[in-house]
Amino acid sequence: MTSQRRCLIVDDSKMIRRVAMRILKDMNFNSSEAENGKEALDLCKLDMPEAILLDWRMPIMDGFAFLKALRQLPDGKKPIVIFCTAERSVERITEALQNGADEYIMKPFDSDIIESKFQLAGLI
Amino acid sequence: MAGVLSLNPPYYEALKRLTLELAGVNLGSDHAFLVETRLSALARKEGFESLDSLVNELFGSGDTRLAVQVVSTLLERDSHFNKDPESFAQFSKTILPELYSVRGGGQVRLLSFGCAAGQEAYGMAMAYERLKDQLPGLSVEIIGVDYPSSALDRAKAGRYTHFEVQRGLAARDLIEYFEPAPEPGSSDWIISHPLKDLVTFRDVHLLSSLGSLPKFHGVLFRGALPHYSGPAKLRVLRGLSSLVLPYGYLLLGSNESLKQINFGFDPVDKSKGLYRKRKDVSEDLAPLEEILPLEETPKVKSNGRTTFTKTKRQHNA
Repeated sequence: MTSQRRCLIVDDSKMIRRVAMRILKDMNFNSSEAENGKEALDLCKLDMPEAILLDWRMPIMDGFAFLKALRQLPDGKKPIVIFCTAERSVERITEALQNGADEYIMKPFDSDIIESKFQLAGLI
Repeated sequence: MAGVLSLNPPYYEALKRLTLELAGVNLGSDHAFLVETRLSALARKEGFESLDSLVNELFGSGDTRLAVQVVSTLLERDSHFNKDPESFAQFSKTILPELYSVRGGGQVRLLSFGCAAGQEAYGMAMAYERLKDQLPGLSVEIIGVDYPSSALDRAKAGRYTHFEVQRGLAARDLIEYFEPAPEPGSSDWIISHPLKDLVTFRDVHLLSSLGSLPKFHGVLFRGALPHYSGPAKLRVLRGLSSLVLPYGYLLLGSNESLKQINFGFDPVDKSKGLYRKRKDVSEDLAPLEEILPLEETPKVKSNGRTTFTKTKRQHNA
């Protein structure tokens, strides 16, 4: 029996977290969720996942600040981080990739896109 | 499902027959919903009152243009970037480097046969751009061909929805080779110019004579072969063989092969569907006319069957 891989979904929208969780379940991922960067950082300090699906604009701590803090944690370079955001300018995508994101998803997304981006990031 | 569909079963059978006879492709028995939705959209686009009016016009008038439009709509594939990556990797790992090592430079001509919305053709251009510093003096001309369709129109425009550019395309490639569409509110992306200039697209009936096309150093024909009927497979592979230059390459899908008939090709890596044309194959290939005359043009009849009319004779009459 293969063990399920773990993905942390970080988004302030409950609906987005629910949709992503359902898609990831079909891809045999075990997901946990956080509604802002600070909550996500606390979860990562306790138990680092293999993958993080990360929104950009969130209250308390946004995705970009979370990514910077994550990469400074011991073991924080390990998880593959895929931004999943409504930001769709070339500048934003470039900024995300230059600052440690492995892939980038523009909302709205569907299961094909999530699967394709996880494949490109080497997660499946 | 049958209860919610409006198309009469005999018409559905006639459309299946038309697709087989015109394009050599078998539509599955479970494609009724696809036929209904796609042709309903085509009927609206072409100004018909309903799907029934379109079908009546198709089989009543025997309009060949409409028949080709219907068939190409039915065969439109949901293609995406980097489809079958195991097979596509052969293009960068073997085809381009080998052509370069044999030729040492100059221009190589490449064909995406059955190019749909053009992702494969532009994918070749991206692969070349990534490799070109290692291939000094080598340039590429890429041609994509398919039946006239809205997918081919999108290929020509090099314009894709934000869903399409996220299927199989890495974010780094998106920002390097595409630009956001300029219209306010649009979420489409457009192929950027240096890349677009490498690729052209042409309307081609894939089972007709391919004599109007030039010869190629490499042909990609991936993922479509299993859908063709036996005679159509023979015809299309013979046609492709005649297009590939000696020592040129044919790349099929990773699970596809030429099987018993080699069409003048030797396998390079059989498991990945890659073949190389032998130097002189003229003695191996019977004329294509023995399979289906090249001059024939399919014409739809009112019973949903196609006939083949000798174009030259029509001109002489």
